[in-house]
Amino acid sequence: MSTTATNQKTARRRRTFSGRDKATLGFFIGIPTFLHVALVWFPAVATIFLSFTYWTGIHISDIQWAGTANYENIFFNTPVFWDALRVNVVWLLWFGFIATPLGILLAYQIDREIRGHKFYQTAYYLPVVLSLAVIGIIWNFLLRPDGFINGALGLPISEAISFFGDDRYNLWVILIMASWRHIGYIMLLYLAGLKAIDATLREAASIDGATEWKTFLQVIFPAMGPVNIIVIVITIIESLRAFDMIYIIYGGTGGLPILGVLVFQNIAGEGASMKGAAYAVILFLLSIVPIIAYLRQQFREDAK
Amino acid sequence: MMNKIAGHEVDRRLLLKGAAAGGLGIAGATMLAGCAPGETGPVSFGARTVDESPTKQLKGLVDAYTAKTGNEVTYNATESNAFQNNLSQYLQGTPDDCFQWMAGFRMQFFADQGLLEDVSSVWDEIGDQYSESYKIASTGSDGKQYFVPQSWYPWGLHFRKSMMAEIGMSPEDIYNWDDFMAALKELKAQGLVPLAAADKGGWEAMGTFDILNARINGYQFHVDLLAGREKWTDDRVKEVFRHWEMLLPYQNTNVLDLEWDGAMQLLLQKQAGFFMNGSWFGGNFLEQSQEDYDDLWIVPFPEINPDHARDTIDAPIDGFCVAKNGSNPAGGKDLIKFAGDMEGVQAMLDTGIPMTSANKGQDTSTFDAFQQQQLAVMGEAKYITQFLDRDTRPDFAGPVVGPALQSWFKDPSSTDSILESLQSQWDALPAL
Repeated sequence: MSTTATNQKTARRRRTFSGRDKATLGFFIGIPTFLHVALVWFPAVATIFLSFTYWTGIHISDIQWAGTANYENIFFNTPVFWDALRVNVVWLLWFGFIATPLGILLAYQIDREIRGHKFYQTAYYLPVVLSLAVIGIIWNFLLRPDGFINGALGLPISEAISFFGDDRYNLWVILIMASWRHIGYIMLLYLAGLKAIDATLREAASIDGATEWKTFLQVIFPAMGPVNIIVIVITIIESLRAFDMIYIIYGGTGGLPILGVLVFQNIAGEGASMKGAAYAVILFLLSIVPIIAYLRQQFREDAK
Repeated sequence: MMNKIAGHEVDRRLLLKGAAAGGLGIAGATMLAGCAPGETGPVSFGARTVDESPTKQLKGLVDAYTAKTGNEVTYNATESNAFQNNLSQYLQGTPDDCFQWMAGFRMQFFADQGLLEDVSSVWDEIGDQYSESYKIASTGSDGKQYFVPQSWYPWGLHFRKSMMAEIGMSPEDIYNWDDFMAALKELKAQGLVPLAAADKGGWEAMGTFDILNARINGYQFHVDLLAGREKWTDDRVKEVFRHWEMLLPYQNTNVLDLEWDGAMQLLLQKQAGFFMNGSWFGGNFLEQSQEDYDDLWIVPFPEINPDHARDTIDAPIDGFCVAKNGSNPAGGKDLIKFAGDMEGVQAMLDTGIPMTSANKGQDTSTFDAFQQQQLAVMGEAKYITQFLDRDTRPDFAGPVVGPALQSWFKDPSSTDSILESLQSQWDALPAL
């Protein structure tokens, strides 16, 4: 092991690779890079380009330059865009301030090995093995007008509680469903991080007379830096890319408008137009900008 | 060909032979060189339904086709919404040779894109079994046919005869809006949901919009509005929503939580008085029991403006298309020719699933009572429309009108702003 490490160090310093090394490296870097560019960057750049065009998505020759028309249409003529944006923002806030902290709290409790922690761990982790689509199906069985809950309450369809249809609370129902999985996911990530923390840190803190809360806030949390970044990034991405569960429950229509469904609605099916591409670009920017900003700030702090 | 239409009373074996011989004769004369039995080879068929009754009906069709021609048919079924959402990609990829689709704008759009096979030659052979209006509905913007009709159904007010009899109401006598409002009030007093409604799918309520607009403003205005020649901000459109608002207190409150079949359940379970929908769901009633099916009835939506009486009806036509990119277009044409021919129609009817065929050869005297009534409802109308999402641009109907109607249900007082936004979204559409 130590020889390899030394070799690597030397190699890095001198930057001399044999032809064989170069070929191997080229192969191992080139293939994934090619696939990445072809499957990720090309579609992404093409989507950005197409969002400035009119196109039905069928014949390449039909593509017409539209300038910013699709964006103007979305921002100024499409009220459902603002509804969807509101839902996504609420979703993000809910995840950021309620679901994610709850997941962290659970991870901490389980890490402290409270009584029955093994049971809690399994119970909270269980939903994570299910995809959001499956979660949508399960909860739909429970909550739809002819579903289990309304049936158990003895309500006929006409009087059924409108869990998914009533605008006053359908968003909260959906958020609880999504959190059911998200909390377990965050818990697991955080638990892995907590397990890796040196027990002496905690000991030192308790010898210094720090309370549990202070220990967490001033010792554990800062020591969890890399995990915190992952948790924040995941929280942002999960909130903005939300689609599958909504699609399962509402279909491709805007029963509860979210950006992911608007992308789908405008790009799939007969109504395909590049307004869908514009929605995708907006969603992309919304996801990437806060993440880049956050990471830059983090790296700057680390550099200090 | 005429003998074939009359021929479904004669022995079926004889008929098969006759049809086969006829097919051979015509094959020589037309472009369809390969339509002789067994010659067009295996063919795949894409059904846009996974429901029990229509599947049974379509299986009956493809089995009869295989029995007749010896051509194997691969039957691929997709759930209806998923099929619609994927159609564009499906047709550009490796589609089934022929598939179920809808007439009107929705067919023309794909024909214009060059994704459908011209089936004019099929019409040359079986065209005389259809009235002119079906041929028009099957014709693309270039004047060629791209579609073969299977069946139609009217949109109207459905109810259960037994329930109405119990209350002592005779819906057949509901002629105008005042009669209708009085009936709804009475049903509400009886503790029922007077009018079952759904719009979770985003399209169900379009049927109600269509009929209100046609009743209040007439066929021409409705067609012009959907073609963009009239404005959504017009006071006449506002009048439609003003009338619709009067219906809201009589509807179930969970409109946005129910898809069409949820609202149908309200009628099936005798919780609702009326259900405004297309008659296709008769099959679902029959699945339940013969008794339920026999209890089902339809009347036209009431008159609102005497100038237009009850002269318009939504009666969408479903049928078949052949995909240009299919591996065996000749086979696809052969199969839909069979489906459009009285012989194929008869095979579907023989499954016992109720169907009002577009084919003139289906003897209307063989219609059951409910189908006779559908015919009568159709008969009263002078103008036939397809349905909002078949009569206007696909990039407007689904992504724009659908969510607009849903948000109207959430807040009916926002009619004006919703209509303004509908108009500005129409104006923002690229030229076709």
